Amino acid sequence: MSGGQVESTVKETLSQVLGVPAERIGSGFSAESTPEWTSLNHLMLVSQLESAFGVFFSNQEIQGLTSYDGIIAALSGRGAGA
Amino acid sequence: MADRELGGDEITSRTLQAIAAGVAPGSSWAAYHAAARGLDALPADRVPEPLRARVAVLGSFTLEPFIPVLRIEAARAGLWLDTYLGAYGQYLHELLDPNSALYRFRPHVTFLAIDADVLWNQRWAENPPLRSEPVVGELLTPLFSGLEVFSRAGRGIVVVNDFVLPRRSTEGVNAFRSKGNFAHTVAHANKHLRLRLATRDDTFLFPMADVVAQVGRNQAFNWRTHYRGHVTWSDALMAAVAERYVGFALASIGKATKCIVLDLDNTLWGGVLGEDGPAGIALGPQWPGSEFLDFQRELLDLQRQGILLALCSKNNEDEVLAVLREHPHMLIRENSLAALRVNWEDKASNIRALAQELNIGLEHMLLIDDSPHERAWVRQQIPELRVPEVPADPSLYATWVGSLPSLVVLQQTAEDSRRTDQYRESRTREAYRASTGSVEDFLRGLGLRAEVALVNEGSMARVVQLLAKTNQFNLTTRRHDEATLRRRTGAGEWRVYTMRVADRFGDFGLTGIAIAAPGPAAWHIDSFLLSCRVIGKSVETALLARLAADAREAGASILTAEFIGSGRNQVAEPFLANHGFAAGPDGRWQRALSVPGPDWPEWIEAVRSEPVEGVSALPGVSR
Repeated sequence: MSGGQVESTVKETLSQVLGVPAERIGSGFSAESTPEWTSLNHLMLVSQLESAFGVFFSNQEIQGLTSYDGIIAALSGRGAGA
Repeated sequence: MADRELGGDEITSRTLQAIAAGVAPGSSWAAYHAAARGLDALPADRVPEPLRARVAVLGSFTLEPFIPVLRIEAARAGLWLDTYLGAYGQYLHELLDPNSALYRFRPHVTFLAIDADVLWNQRWAENPPLRSEPVVGELLTPLFSGLEVFSRAGRGIVVVNDFVLPRRSTEGVNAFRSKGNFAHTVAHANKHLRLRLATRDDTFLFPMADVVAQVGRNQAFNWRTHYRGHVTWSDALMAAVAERYVGFALASIGKATKCIVLDLDNTLWGGVLGEDGPAGIALGPQWPGSEFLDFQRELLDLQRQGILLALCSKNNEDEVLAVLREHPHMLIRENSLAALRVNWEDKASNIRALAQELNIGLEHMLLIDDSPHERAWVRQQIPELRVPEVPADPSLYATWVGSLPSLVVLQQTAEDSRRTDQYRESRTREAYRASTGSVEDFLRGLGLRAEVALVNEGSMARVVQLLAKTNQFNLTTRRHDEATLRRRTGAGEWRVYTMRVADRFGDFGLTGIAIAAPGPAAWHIDSFLLSCRVIGKSVETALLARLAADAREAGASILTAEFIGSGRNQVAEPFLANHGFAAGPDGRWQRALSVPGPDWPEWIEAVRSEPVEGVSALPGVSR
């Protein structure tokens, strides 16, 4: 998966799970500024990303997946799109 | 109505289906979740009542993510769900507490989703029980009490899943010898659950083990989300469960399919009869042909539950009748069919004619036709008809037909299994009508017999069913449930009359109901209905005559009644005026009992019923 594909898949997944238009999602987009990012949506988001990218996040990593940038960084760490 | 006049957009099942079409079955949960927002965006108050079902989901794990999946699968079937989700792990409390939000929601159907973990007790880690029987009793008793209390209150149907071992057992190769391990506990609990749910008509077993097998156990559970947040079902299992829940939801509001209309060539057999001849069509124990045999077997299973089968085929009728009567391997025979239209007319007109002959609404019919061209044509001509896509490969027909959500039959009564016979008898009766003159002559010649009795244990299921689904000859369309009937009859507030009708051509079964609320001076008719099978035979006069005679005998001086128009019961509208009732200023109808009549029609023989106990004399009636 290229970097561009990773980014668009992450945007689409965030948009579907949170119900936020994909155009609003990008660097700087985070749980803090997004009321739709509830704990249940977070749980489902992590699992949807895991299936979409075929990866598994540890508990520690999950804590850091609370922003678009954090998700991209975690996926790059896995070699996805790096 | 007002909305339509004002030009407001009415939401139809097509609107809902279009939203669901955005998600292919088997898509990720995120895709379902996103599509469900399309449903949220619709003005819910514009969704017409007949498209709505109230569905409650309670469970022993986190089910929030399941709701959007369920709503989308319902929308795929043209259904709008108003949903209630129980608080996490609170299902027992909600079932037992008549003041809970669940009761106030008044669901048509309540799904109880429980996993096998509820059968596990922490203390067994060190001391596994030697026998599972007592343990199962201890664990299931609270659940059974909850079900009992909730069902008695008459809040729709309840569907509980069987327990599924979530993973391969580590109890070893000798586990089968033991009576105390977890696998045995689960098996034992399932046996109890099945027996318990079978004691009531309004409780059902959901075949979770079967659904898990269909998805594959390793794909059915998501252990990551399970441990992180008690979301146990995988995306795939949520979709598969939702698809089957929808069947219950459709049936709970009377939107299930009542009649399957079947094409013949390449649908019930392989090949084209007109070209290949009766010996050339593929049908028999060997392939090609065995796949059609299995498909016919499945269709007959559905027919035995009360779903009618009808034929609609472009063929020569005599050639088709010859196959139906003489082909050695045909399983569906002439007597399995409620009606047939075999000719060269267009299929849409033929299906309309079938609907009229069987007196079934087109929205309760489903067409199975292998030709994409015919399907498209009929869909366009009759939007309310169900016309599912059919697999291109006939070897998939038998499996596919079982997955159609609208083919769920909730209540099977003796009448259901006789229904095909009744439609055949009616064909003979119609032929007789054509040969006689006046209506009275016709009725006289039918040799009608009617037996009016009070409801009893044997007739209760049929009474509940008729109240739930009779739309046409129904004065008030009140859908009383079984609990209400039992309570009010038990308390002496209601007398529930049933009427069985037969004529010289056959038996119509229990086809009339009247509910009277007897008072000292006036008897009020709360409900009065006839099954469409006996409309036009004047038997309603007989039923009313008996009710009026009883009221007189009890010393009442007035009968009161109501007509509540539902848009579909016009046929019942003249009934009260025709029987001497006069409309009062408040819309209530009255008839003084000092005026003689109505008389039992002389052309109907009154069959004296065996003295039977009314429901009030039965056990289990709360007073």
